[in-house]
Amino acid sequence: MQIVSKLRERRYQAILGAIIMAVIILAVKPEVLLEGIQRSSLYAVIALPMALILGIVGIINLAHGDFMMLGSYMAYWFAVKSGLDPLLAMIPAMLAFFLIGILTFYALIKPVLGSQELNQLLLTFGLGLVLEEAANLSFTSAPLKLSVPYVSASLTIGDLTFGTFEFVYVLAAMLVFYIISLFLKKTRIGRAARAVGQNPKGAKLVGIDVNKTYLIIFSLSIAIIGTIGVLFAMRHSVFPVMGAPYTMKSFCLIAMAGIGNITGILWYSALLGVSESIITAIPGAAGWADLVFFALIVGAILIRSYQQRVK
Amino acid sequence: MLSIKNLDAFYGKLHVLWDVSLELGNECVGIFGPNGAGKTTLINCIVGLVKPQGGTVEFDNKTLLNQETFQIIRSGIAVVPQERELFPLMTAAENLEAGSAYIPAAHAKRKERLEFIFSIFPVLKLKSSLPAAVLSGGEQRMLTIARALMAYPKLLILDEPSTGLQPSLTTDLFLRLKQIRQSEGISILIAEQNVRQCLKAIDRGYVIENGKIVLQATAANLADNDYIRKSYLGL
Repeated sequence: MQIVSKLRERRYQAILGAIIMAVIILAVKPEVLLEGIQRSSLYAVIALPMALILGIVGIINLAHGDFMMLGSYMAYWFAVKSGLDPLLAMIPAMLAFFLIGILTFYALIKPVLGSQELNQLLLTFGLGLVLEEAANLSFTSAPLKLSVPYVSASLTIGDLTFGTFEFVYVLAAMLVFYIISLFLKKTRIGRAARAVGQNPKGAKLVGIDVNKTYLIIFSLSIAIIGTIGVLFAMRHSVFPVMGAPYTMKSFCLIAMAGIGNITGILWYSALLGVSESIITAIPGAAGWADLVFFALIVGAILIRSYQQRVK
Repeated sequence: MLSIKNLDAFYGKLHVLWDVSLELGNECVGIFGPNGAGKTTLINCIVGLVKPQGGTVEFDNKTLLNQETFQIIRSGIAVVPQERELFPLMTAAENLEAGSAYIPAAHAKRKERLEFIFSIFPVLKLKSSLPAAVLSGGEQRMLTIARALMAYPKLLILDEPSTGLQPSLTTDLFLRLKQIRQSEGISILIAEQNVRQCLKAIDRGYVIENGKIVLQATAANLADNDYIRKSYLGL
């Protein structure tokens, strides 16, 4: 009886729908579901730190993907200069990007906090261009590829063969989601960040150092995205504008899920990742994947706006 | 405890506070005035949300002018803002927790404090698991006052606490403030337009109009003052 009553709620209907869909895809074309999950996880893990900055600091960081690009170049640099395995390079990269986050915050973000949103947008857009051009000048626009033998590992179950390395993204997405959730709920700074995200003036009035909170959240998010860049470089080509599409997709995911809704980012990443995967699997339709991605976003935002108007 | 001398404040080129001076010891003091008189600006100057151009603001003989809002709050001043400024998606309990979490001395004694808060605002205990956004206006007002009290303040500042409250709740609110003042011995500064109710709770009062202090007296003298009776009490 309890299950039946729960199924009257839209949330549980969506979960049931997703499970049924997953079972159907798994039965018909299991590799599509696996690839969809891997793709979704990559979208989610990239979008989560951007959501943290937007939800708490209130800045749309249009240089988000470019910090990931820097992380990828750092992985390449570490591998070439010191032979350091990219998985190990994630540790120094995280520390380096935390410092880069601190410097960026003081030099660029803090001065525009409280100014018009357009100024903030233009600033981060400009920063992204600067980072891309800097990468272009330093490494040229030619794609670089890391040679990491174990990323090509695959597993065969019956007739199904699939790459296993991409499950690192699934693990990373779960880990980042879990750590962010735990940080926001259980730590003093995390709770302060939630308060600041909901009401910065109210936060000041209970004794929270709002600027310090912004600094920590911004630097932490840059540390996460820089580290994800290292992970990304292990499987993908590295070139100066590689981050731009991910900035756009992350922003769209946040818009779909709603600002501050990090659980929603996981769900919408799954929807978009699996949908893209299905489209890509249809012969001759691979080029439609991006179109479907953005069409779904437009649809989701329209439906939500309609629901809000009806309420 | 709180000493404000010759304070001048501007919004851009608009001069909003003119040579304002105010003293507050261990007592309950009211600031009365019409909309736009400068009451909220004065409070914002005290807590560092507005930086004054001239004058001094001292609390416990230390200047507040070079301090950030969070430092001023941590020094023992709690504010109940007119717009409530709660954390809407957090539960009432989490909002209360936030009131003490960033003030080390208060955080150590938060459990005893919650008992005290629930004894004066029992409805907050009943609704402690609900998000602040779904509470009624009166409950949100109580929550804002309770959140401020969680900080064990030496000075409690309330900016138009009766705004949006029905008359019975307003009477109740000022009774509770009196009760808090008696049991806690804290100083209270109330900016208010509801002079009739507020006079029952305060020891002294100031009248501010067009950014200038035009009158100051004890509560009894203010209640008998012809200007106050005519302009603020409608008698």
